[in-house]
Amino acid sequence: MTNTATTPSGQPLGISHKPSQTEAMFAKFKAANKPAFIGYLPYGFPNPDVSLEALKTMVEHGVDAVEIGLPYSDPVMDGPVIQAASSIALKNGETIKRVFEAVETVANAGGVPLVMSYWNLIYHYGVERFATDFENAGGAGLITPDLIPDEAGEWIEASDRHGLDRVFLVSPDSADERLETVAKNARGFVYAAARMGVTGERAHLDASPEVLVERTRKAGAENVCVGIGVSTAEQGAKVGSYADGVIVGSALVHTLLADDNRTARDTAEGLKLLAAKSEELAEGIHNAR
Amino acid sequence: MSVLDELVAGALEDQHTRERTVSLEEVKQAALAAPAPIDAMRWLKRADGIPVIAEIKRASPSKGHLSDIPDPAALAREYEQGGASAISVLTEGRRFLGSLDDFDKVRAAVHIPLLRKDFIITDYQVYEARAHGADLVLLIVAALDDEKLKHLLDLAHELKMTVLVEAHTREEIERARKAGAKVIGINARNLKNLRVDVNKYNELAADLPDDVIKVAESGVFGAVEVEDYGRAGADAVLVGEGVATADDHELAVERLVKAGAQVKASESTPLSEHQGPYWGQFGGRYVPEALITALDELERVYNEAKADPEFHKEFMTLQQRYVGRPSPLTEAPRFAQLIKDKTGLDARIFLKREDLNHTGAHKINNALGQALLVKRMGKTRVIAETGAGQHGVATATVCAMMGLKCRIYMGQIDARRQALNVARMRMLGAEVVEVTLGDRILKDAINEALRDWVTNVKDTHYLLGTVAGPHPFPAMVRDFQKIIGEEAKQQLQDWYGIDHPDAVCACVGGGSNAIGVMNAFLDDERVNLYGYEAGGNGPESGKHAIRFAPGTGQLGMFQGAKSYLLETDEGQTLDTYSISAGLDYASVGPEHAWLKDIGRVNYSWATDEEAMNAFRDLSQTEGIIPAIESSHAVAGAYKAAADLKAKGYDKAVMIINISGRGDKDMATAGKWFGYLTDDQAKALEVTGAHGNTVA
Repeated sequence: MTNTATTPSGQPLGISHKPSQTEAMFAKFKAANKPAFIGYLPYGFPNPDVSLEALKTMVEHGVDAVEIGLPYSDPVMDGPVIQAASSIALKNGETIKRVFEAVETVANAGGVPLVMSYWNLIYHYGVERFATDFENAGGAGLITPDLIPDEAGEWIEASDRHGLDRVFLVSPDSADERLETVAKNARGFVYAAARMGVTGERAHLDASPEVLVERTRKAGAENVCVGIGVSTAEQGAKVGSYADGVIVGSALVHTLLADDNRTARDTAEGLKLLAAKSEELAEGIHNAR
Repeated sequence: MSVLDELVAGALEDQHTRERTVSLEEVKQAALAAPAPIDAMRWLKRADGIPVIAEIKRASPSKGHLSDIPDPAALAREYEQGGASAISVLTEGRRFLGSLDDFDKVRAAVHIPLLRKDFIITDYQVYEARAHGADLVLLIVAALDDEKLKHLLDLAHELKMTVLVEAHTREEIERARKAGAKVIGINARNLKNLRVDVNKYNELAADLPDDVIKVAESGVFGAVEVEDYGRAGADAVLVGEGVATADDHELAVERLVKAGAQVKASESTPLSEHQGPYWGQFGGRYVPEALITALDELERVYNEAKADPEFHKEFMTLQQRYVGRPSPLTEAPRFAQLIKDKTGLDARIFLKREDLNHTGAHKINNALGQALLVKRMGKTRVIAETGAGQHGVATATVCAMMGLKCRIYMGQIDARRQALNVARMRMLGAEVVEVTLGDRILKDAINEALRDWVTNVKDTHYLLGTVAGPHPFPAMVRDFQKIIGEEAKQQLQDWYGIDHPDAVCACVGGGSNAIGVMNAFLDDERVNLYGYEAGGNGPESGKHAIRFAPGTGQLGMFQGAKSYLLETDEGQTLDTYSISAGLDYASVGPEHAWLKDIGRVNYSWATDEEAMNAFRDLSQTEGIIPAIESSHAVAGAYKAAADLKAKGYDKAVMIINISGRGDKDMATAGKWFGYLTDDQAKALEVTGAHGNTVA
């Protein structure tokens, strides 16, 4: 077995001091006093090929960084839309090996490629192996919805060696010391959940995300993005007025789902709707301030 | 000339240069005049952690330049802040770019033991180390012959310093031991993949006595290696690049210290009092951050309750007056005869009768305990998952009794298999939600319950039914269930005059009844423990819920904990199958995973057919109809008896945990054994009730 975590002379990789892609992106947006638009789509949905096209479409229509989701059989943080999309992707032959094509696709289109994955998938693939392949594909960082910093020893080590961002989540009822733990261990940005609960579109967002962003910054986080529940340009603009980035998931995924919410929509039509939705959201978010 | 020879020659030359300014006699005087050294031995081994020796390292011959370190004193202070137990300062100047000047600066800055790391081959260097305030020195076996090694070791010991003796092979370790080394640095890196090789570590360190401190000396970078070396038995670790080149040195050391403490805590004994969150490498909290506040609160309230005699009093009073505890320990002589006929073992069999509890299973022990905690936390709503329906019924029952709002999630397939239990839960006032997502079995019910909990965590408690899930559930549920084994042990003595059983058998789904009956015996080596998983159609069929047999479960994180898990090559959870809804689960409690790894419990399985035969055997020999879940333990008793026989027992006392009663399973059994008329069976098919196969 060859280990990829070595230098050409056979020594283990040290800490990579490569600059963070997402931090560079936020610096650029901050200079322009704008929030970034981060869009989510599960890789492999509705099938591997179309999902590559969809990711490209998102970047071409205003998404700055893409959270490429890895479909999982037991997505406890996800609501019905993303559950349905994940299950369609799994049925249509999604494999983690090919997600790196998606990473390259996003990078080539000019977006910042992030991956969002439940931890067991990465653990099973091999944490070091994932970090190596992800770095080689041009990946920026990994969002881990069910991995808290306290359990992340192996990932912290691998991400340090490969210069990858570690994006942990915080939620409205996280205590200050939890926010500090997350801020201290995160790299790139912190993902603030706009409300308690699973992913999905919501007609109304309350004021709690703004308070959470403020508290997370106070706890030491450089960049704080808000997700979960943001689905319209108006909500995007509102969240974008105070967050460094606005994360939209279900609303984008929804465009590729048929009206029964269980099957995939016609591809051409879906991509058209996805492009339009991306533009609409980008318009709202980028002009938030 | 090897690299080592070169380094040694250089160090010697440099020493001669220094000696021209400060003579040996002067350096001796300075050494004797220096403040007494710290006894580093006491810093390098502890029961509750793996001491970290953090190194001030600018460069190395193998990796070249690493870090400038303009201010070694500041770096040392950061190490100390992060929890380092000692600091290693490289004083070799040619390839490692260190100096005695660095050492002096560090000595002035910190108050923990300091190691002078250099290529030491002369008395002069040893005195010099002491003169500069060193508490430890490094000696490299490969650079010294036996006589020289012993001489320098003795000299350093005379000066009250501790010596870290670096060895790379078995022979070098032998030489170090013979010379009188008390602290040995072991390099167990696998040179092929550069990861810590536990086998190599064991090969090197296996025979070292306890009083020798074992320092893992190479390749320690982050938490991964600390854990690997720690689990392999290293007492301390030495780490250089991983901390010296980190962006935040203090945090980097802190992470290593935490990882070490975690390893130690995870292997603590006695087994019966282990509190988690980690059992060996298993357990933990692999959950969304949104649940951490609730889990912390639960842990805090539970710990308070545990220390509160009033809580115990209330719990035990309800156990007695409401649940009907203690449940009897019934001898089963006619079933024992069957065992003897089949295996030749002359066994006395005792059944722990959890089937006689209110609601008909052991689940009520835990439901009751957690419901009392719900009251303490001031929450008003309870959610729970259920597979066979027993935990759902128990939860609905205690919620009715305490006036709590209750919602039960149940996979649609399970709900059909256990239609009567669905009706019971509704009768008790609970809302039953049939989960139509995923595979529509127990795991999917748990997913939905977790989603509900993430959303409504403020007023809602998730009353998890087994010893799985995130900490503190595995430890807490175990504590509420351990009464099973404690009673059984006492009853065996009081009622039957038997000191201890030779074997205990239980079925293992998530594992709560098994832990419950086994906990009281975990630390009694005389008791053989047997756990039986749901074999479905057998391990080769792919239709089973066996997590522990070779080629079945793999390590993974599932629904909050690290354990064994049935999963695909992609890490997606596999469909499981068992005739018993209560054992039909892809993973297993983390404590069981550990008990399997350390070999304390023998895990095997019983197939559907074996379980159903046992269901009939017990019913017809003892007039006791066990739940299909418990029938796996009864079927297992035949296997355990055969195993005891093979181990040389002729007579044995065996306890089988009858975790629940089989009334709920009569329709399934009726179909299985053909006791129903065609019309009756057809009627059941049409209503979709009591199907015994997974669609």
